[in-house]
Amino acid sequence: METETCIPSMSIDFKVQELLKEVRLQCSPALTKLVDDTVSAIKSAVDQIPEHLQVTADWAPGFVRDVGADKAEFKFKKPTSIEIGGSYSIGCVAKPDVNVDLLLRLPKECFHEKDYLNYRYHAKRCLYLCVIKKYLKSSSSIQKVEWSTLQNEARKPVLVVYPAANLDEVPGLFIRIIPTATSLFDPSKLNEKRNNVRALNTGDVPQPTPIYNCSILEDMYLEENSKFVMNFFSGWKELGEALILLKVWARLRSSIYVHDCLNGFLISIIVSYLVAKNKINRDMMPMGIFRATLKFIETHPLWKHRLYFPTIDQNTSSKGNEQLNSSTRFNLVFRISGVAYPELQDEVASTLKCLEKCRDGGFEEIFATKIDNAAKYDYCFRLNLKGNRDVYSLGFCLDDECWRVYEQDVHNLLNQGLNDRAKFIRVIWRNTYSDFNVENGLSALNNEPLFVGILVSSVEKAFRVVDIGPNAEKKDEALMFRKFWGEKAELRRFQDGKIAESTVWESEQGSRHLILKRIVEFLLERHLSLSKKDIVSVVDQLDFSLLHDGKDLVSHSGKLLRTFEELSKRLRSIEDVPLKISSVQPLDSAFRYTSVFPPEPHPVANKKVDVARLHNLTPFCVQSLEVMIQLEGSGNWPMDDVLIERTKSVFLLKICESLQDNWGMTCTASEKDVDVLMDGYAFRLRMLHERGLSLVNKEIGRDQMKRVSAADKMLFVRSQHASMVNGLQFRYPIFGLVVRLAKRWLASHLFSACLAEEAAELLVAYLFLKPLPFDVPCSRITGFLRFLRLLAEHDWTFSPLIVDINGDLSQNDEKEIDDNFMQSRKAYKENTQIESKAMFLATAYDKSSEAWTRCSPNPLELKRLVAYARSSANLLTKIILQNQTDPHGWECLFRTPLNLYDAVILLHGDRLPYPKRLLFTSELDQGGHVAHGSASSSFHPFLLPADMKGSLEQLKTKLMVNFDPLRCFVGDVEAKFSNRLKLWYDSLGGDAIGLTWERSKKREREEEEADGKHAVDLLRNVGELGKGFVRDVYLVKAPRLSI
Amino acid sequence: MKKKTSKEKANAVGVAEDVEMVENLVATKQEKKKDKLSKKKKRKGKEKNASAGTVAKLVDENDEVHVQEKFRKDRKKKSKGQLVKKSKAAQEDEVYEIPSGDEDCSKGMKKWLTDYHQCRPGLKVLQQRIDEFITAYEEKLEQERREKEARLTEGGWVLVEHHKGRKKTTDSESGTTIGSVSQAAVEDKLAKKKSKEVSDFYRFQKREAQRNELLTLQSKFEQDKKRIQQMRAARKFRPY
Repeated sequence: METETCIPSMSIDFKVQELLKEVRLQCSPALTKLVDDTVSAIKSAVDQIPEHLQVTADWAPGFVRDVGADKAEFKFKKPTSIEIGGSYSIGCVAKPDVNVDLLLRLPKECFHEKDYLNYRYHAKRCLYLCVIKKYLKSSSSIQKVEWSTLQNEARKPVLVVYPAANLDEVPGLFIRIIPTATSLFDPSKLNEKRNNVRALNTGDVPQPTPIYNCSILEDMYLEENSKFVMNFFSGWKELGEALILLKVWARLRSSIYVHDCLNGFLISIIVSYLVAKNKINRDMMPMGIFRATLKFIETHPLWKHRLYFPTIDQNTSSKGNEQLNSSTRFNLVFRISGVAYPELQDEVASTLKCLEKCRDGGFEEIFATKIDNAAKYDYCFRLNLKGNRDVYSLGFCLDDECWRVYEQDVHNLLNQGLNDRAKFIRVIWRNTYSDFNVENGLSALNNEPLFVGILVSSVEKAFRVVDIGPNAEKKDEALMFRKFWGEKAELRRFQDGKIAESTVWESEQGSRHLILKRIVEFLLERHLSLSKKDIVSVVDQLDFSLLHDGKDLVSHSGKLLRTFEELSKRLRSIEDVPLKISSVQPLDSAFRYTSVFPPEPHPVANKKVDVARLHNLTPFCVQSLEVMIQLEGSGNWPMDDVLIERTKSVFLLKICESLQDNWGMTCTASEKDVDVLMDGYAFRLRMLHERGLSLVNKEIGRDQMKRVSAADKMLFVRSQHASMVNGLQFRYPIFGLVVRLAKRWLASHLFSACLAEEAAELLVAYLFLKPLPFDVPCSRITGFLRFLRLLAEHDWTFSPLIVDINGDLSQNDEKEIDDNFMQSRKAYKENTQIESKAMFLATAYDKSSEAWTRCSPNPLELKRLVAYARSSANLLTKIILQNQTDPHGWECLFRTPLNLYDAVILLHGDRLPYPKRLLFTSELDQGGHVAHGSASSSFHPFLLPADMKGSLEQLKTKLMVNFDPLRCFVGDVEAKFSNRLKLWYDSLGGDAIGLTWERSKKREREEEEADGKHAVDLLRNVGELGKGFVRDVYLVKAPRLSI
Repeated sequence: MKKKTSKEKANAVGVAEDVEMVENLVATKQEKKKDKLSKKKKRKGKEKNASAGTVAKLVDENDEVHVQEKFRKDRKKKSKGQLVKKSKAAQEDEVYEIPSGDEDCSKGMKKWLTDYHQCRPGLKVLQQRIDEFITAYEEKLEQERREKEARLTEGGWVLVEHHKGRKKTTDSESGTTIGSVSQAAVEDKLAKKKSKEVSDFYRFQKREAQRNELLTLQSKFEQDKKRIQQMRAARKFRPY
């Protein structure tokens, strides 16, 4: 057993080695040469600068004005030293961001002793860079020089130098010139209690400027820290590897790899600190160091306790250390803010959980899953603050920069307003943009939108309608509350007799997800006077796809369930059928809230119908809902499969008669289906024969399985699935909605035939059951995005997707599933003709993925599915994160490109049974128009006035239960042409069918198709099969002939 | 699809796999309108791209869009080249008109409607049909049995058939009387029964088991290696 548990960890080490090979930048001679050449080019450019050049504020007037420096003049001197530092110097560059940090020590002669005051240092630092930039531009081995900032800190610009030569192995390589201020000032003047910006005072009492001081201290100790790090990393391979792993890990998590949390240098400092503290020793493997570092971050509140290098290492860097006493030590992690740390802690905790719990040691979750803001946060907002002067009304830089202060303001405001609705609120404002130019000042840094991400604590809390504030008797608190909420606050008396201030967000059941958006908008408008058009919220943009005639049909579900209860009561009380009905179970997805369009109660499918009140758009068709019934046991059933099915039909007919006689219900039946109309709904009865049931439980592969008829087995599996998913739906209120979006997406891209409805439900269920490395999704858009990513990124070829709905799969079960999976893959490898289960979905009731994905999707279909999912996921991420208010972007998620099929059939939209479900009318502007058909006049989706004239009985017989011309058409075409064509269609009401040529029997067809016209004829024949339904047939690409 | 791609691969840029090709077409679709407006611009961009050399080098996102645009252009051109021929053919005999088929019951909408109504003749009729079917089916079975018997007796042989005997009351596997014990109890009992068996009694069995385990471990190791190779091919180790 021990060896068993060893395997996963071995395989993660395996993968980690591979990852390192891929990610770590190998220092090839060419690269070294390029870097060295560029560095010497920079050095020689700097050498050309004339000594004693008089530098004044005119070099960057905007910057000097905006930071508020009172003096900034010096005579240029050459830098004391120019050295390579950072990750390149320790050989720990992680691709794809390859950059080399060049530390440039500012000469002491250019600065006065007191230049740490009033931003003089910052101004001079910037001017110094301006001079260098001017001379770099003339160098021939440098392509361009740009401005950037150090960790998004605008008052500390850096230069980014792109070498003229390009190296294929490291595209986009650049060198950052970072000035350092080693021993320029007396560190004791910069301790955190001192004021060094005189403009900052309250009534002549100067306020301390800790952040400003740290900003200078950072520059002063940059070189020293860099050396300190270098000391540990040189000649210690595992430590370097662990650092790269940590970097990869952090970069994948955009909420913690930002300016107020982690960055690459900081991580290397933390690791070095742990080495210095003997928390990491030389025996450890990279993964061990990785884990130890995370453990440290989790338990040591960096932000509160701070991090100082221990002073024991005097021998390593002794020069400047004498001046260091405890009050002036520099807090290495000063950038990590109080808001960011809990979030970091949470990410670390979930990573550690992944290491323990996930398959294969969590490699996928930790090192291969992108946790960007779009997928992580349930609600995303973007505030457009371009040109908003309020941001810097007090000045751009005092102790902190105005943008950081604004971030903090927004965070505090939302935190107070949302209180326990939100688990985390993250406000991030990236200010640097591509052609940033410090000379023009800092006002343009507002251009990028500010991002707000909200992680909801639970759906119930987020959907809460009433927030109860302080008791009315507590005057002060009540006053504060009123001041905060303004006209939104109202005094209310609650059921328990309490009278309290409160806010009420009146909202219908279906639109509760908008409450949070309304609160955020209200607060931002009230307190920061932002207008609605500047607040972009990502909340409800996908809702359009689920609406039917402007409303969400799920609101009828209550009535549907009540009707079903009544029906099952009536069924179970039937006496005049030989065997009693023992159980009635729902099968249709409408009963578990996962149907995209659950049926509306149909006015005609009732016992009593008021014909006069039927409106004009009464549909002609009724959707049927499948219901499974079981009879009490009997020994008199036949043994023959055919006879069993017939006997079932006889029973069902008897049941119908009974319902008709006793309750006056309308029933309609064909040889296959029996439908009962009741209170506006049509229920289709299916019968499970109990003999099969006891056998189906037993292991698959035994002889007895063969005795269970396919129909019974399918029914049993479906009923199991229905009850499990129904349970899940109650545990996660948002589950149903995400499933519906997923199903709508699948159908819109014509995948209805590829992925069964139930399979889609299982995929979404997986997101909720195994959310790691995320939290359980609490909003529809996040859930939908993760569904797309799961589809796109899961390793379908090599791993089964195990959906453990009730958490009852034991280790043995999982092993059994793995074995089944290996078997099916092996069988496929040996014979590719065999049914393949390209998507292996295992559940407690179906451990070998027999139920939903046995035949479809096949590998080719899956490939297409994955490609579409990836494309849609990328588009969705882009829309959520980038400033784009175009509503078409959202629609594009559901609009499928028709030029990717070989031929396309467009249908008459007004001959679809439910024309209102059509999202977009399809048109095709390319391809050859092969045929055009006119619409049939014998079918109309809505009841015509002429139909309503007859008697009620006649009207009822006219009503068509579950009639779907699309299904009929697809059936007819497949019956005739399945060896030549493959159909892609939308069963939820799309008006386009995509066709692709089947390639399997190419050889045989070769002669037939020598004439290209054959394809046209074939398509016309297909069109003929859909007389009265097909509008147009287009040929996009003729089948290729083998060359 | 694959075939088409392979050709394009050779012709166009040689960058995109067919998956990648499908990718972002959803996205580019939205730019369609814009595209039309800025066709000229795009052409310029395209030329630039071409002169810049291989497109494979471009990694930047903006450039990627370019690549796709260019790619799509090529696609369009290609398909147009083909289409011209096609549409010529279509023009020659013009767009074929499919009649609405309201009189014709053999195909299309009318057929589906008639089918729908025909298979719902009413409960009584249906009942009768099923009864008839069952009688006919049973008769057929009986007939087959009799024929078989007759065939065998023809040659002067007498068929001696094993009489099925009493109705089965015991389950063949567990040996319990059907219906006498609940399913759960049976399973319980079976499980207990199994646990009593000693699996590895002899030393050689133990050794064999150990060896087997080692072999499976080895094969798993091999598999892991293979899998990692394939994952590398699929760029799974590039978290960017």
